[in-house]
Amino acid sequence: MRIIPFILYLFLIAMHEVISSDLTTVYTAVINLPALAVLLVATYKSEVVSIWFGFAAGVVIAAGMPDLMGWHALILSVLGLTAFHVRERLNLDSLYAKLLLILGGVLVHNVLVLIVTRSDEFLYLLWSRALVGGILTSLVAWLFFLIKEGHITYAKMKALF
Amino acid sequence: MSNLSYKSIRNAHFAVVLVLAVVLIIGQPAVNGLVSQVILDGFYYPFFHIKKLLTEVKTVSAENDQLRSWVAKSSVELSFLEEAARENIRLRSILGFEQQPGYRLLPATVVSVTGGRMPISATINRGLADSVKVQQPVINQVGLVGRIQEVMPGYAKVQLLTDPLNRVAARVASGREMGIVRYLVSEGMVLDNFPNQGIVRPGDTILSSGLGRVYPPGLKVGTVREIFRPENKPYSEIRLEPAVNFHSLEELFVLMPETQ
Repeated sequence: MRIIPFILYLFLIAMHEVISSDLTTVYTAVINLPALAVLLVATYKSEVVSIWFGFAAGVVIAAGMPDLMGWHALILSVLGLTAFHVRERLNLDSLYAKLLLILGGVLVHNVLVLIVTRSDEFLYLLWSRALVGGILTSLVAWLFFLIKEGHITYAKMKALF
Repeated sequence: MSNLSYKSIRNAHFAVVLVLAVVLIIGQPAVNGLVSQVILDGFYYPFFHIKKLLTEVKTVSAENDQLRSWVAKSSVELSFLEEAARENIRLRSILGFEQQPGYRLLPATVVSVTGGRMPISATINRGLADSVKVQQPVINQVGLVGRIQEVMPGYAKVQLLTDPLNRVAARVASGREMGIVRYLVSEGMVLDNFPNQGIVRPGDTILSSGLGRVYPPGLKVGTVREIFRPENKPYSEIRLEPAVNFHSLEELFVLMPETQ
């Protein structure tokens, strides 16, 4: 039963890839939901869970490109493991510290994906996709943390409007 | 001891993940393809269906808006045409001309088409049961398609204009000079027997003339693409662009006489 939430996260990733990815893209900035989900799991769950969820998320996002499936699985798995150890060794109580971890993690993932897919115009894509994509994903993570930590609540929203 | 055990478990899990990833990296394309297919079937296809539905809803909505404006425009044009038709009947009766028969449209769906690179006949889902008869004209929303060649109880065969044996008496919409439209495999649709001194320009519309009494007058057949006027011959060679795309026939209408 403990596996069900993670399967739902994987469905969420698949839904994002198919439906919401295009809708939420701002110019060249794409929300990297797989990396964000792996980093959030690593931030709140155990090490083993982070490793396996990273692997599963990598397999799911590479379903359309079977040749690169292993690389995607490996990258996200190692990303989850690394994020978990960063969380263990550093103090991530602060919201900004968590955001820095997300920004760094997504940036690293975007760069590694560019390297693995052997994209042409690497330097251009580095800032037009990897960097701005990382910033946009961090904004989504910021919203997530604000809701999770109770800074944004339904009552507060109702009071505002 | 507990810490050591935890690290061993962690290392074991990571080793398994590493092995699986390496298997996928260096593995056979068939293995990766199978995994990919399972993931696509399990995780992606429900969302592909939802996306397809959303796209269709969006398309249908836009198409509906377009059709509404088309219907509004057409109803205005129809009221003008009905008035013109009434005037035409009145003037014809004053002059003692024979009245033109009216037609109603019988919708039909194309079941199959036959022919080589260019289809020459189509089978529709209307037949004797719908009072379809041989020689009745068949049109679609853009122009003349052909005529009924053979009728069976539930089906009918349509001889398309692309059949080299099918000919249509036609005239230029603006100049009123007449000729015969036919389809040549080597040249495509042509307007034959058109006098060299006749007035016709590229882009002119060619309509059925009503002569021959198979096709009623005024049905769009095509537009003039190229004109050759050989000096030593009495007739021009006129090539046409068919009004109908014979490669994408779907919904057709059989023109049924009003009395039927």
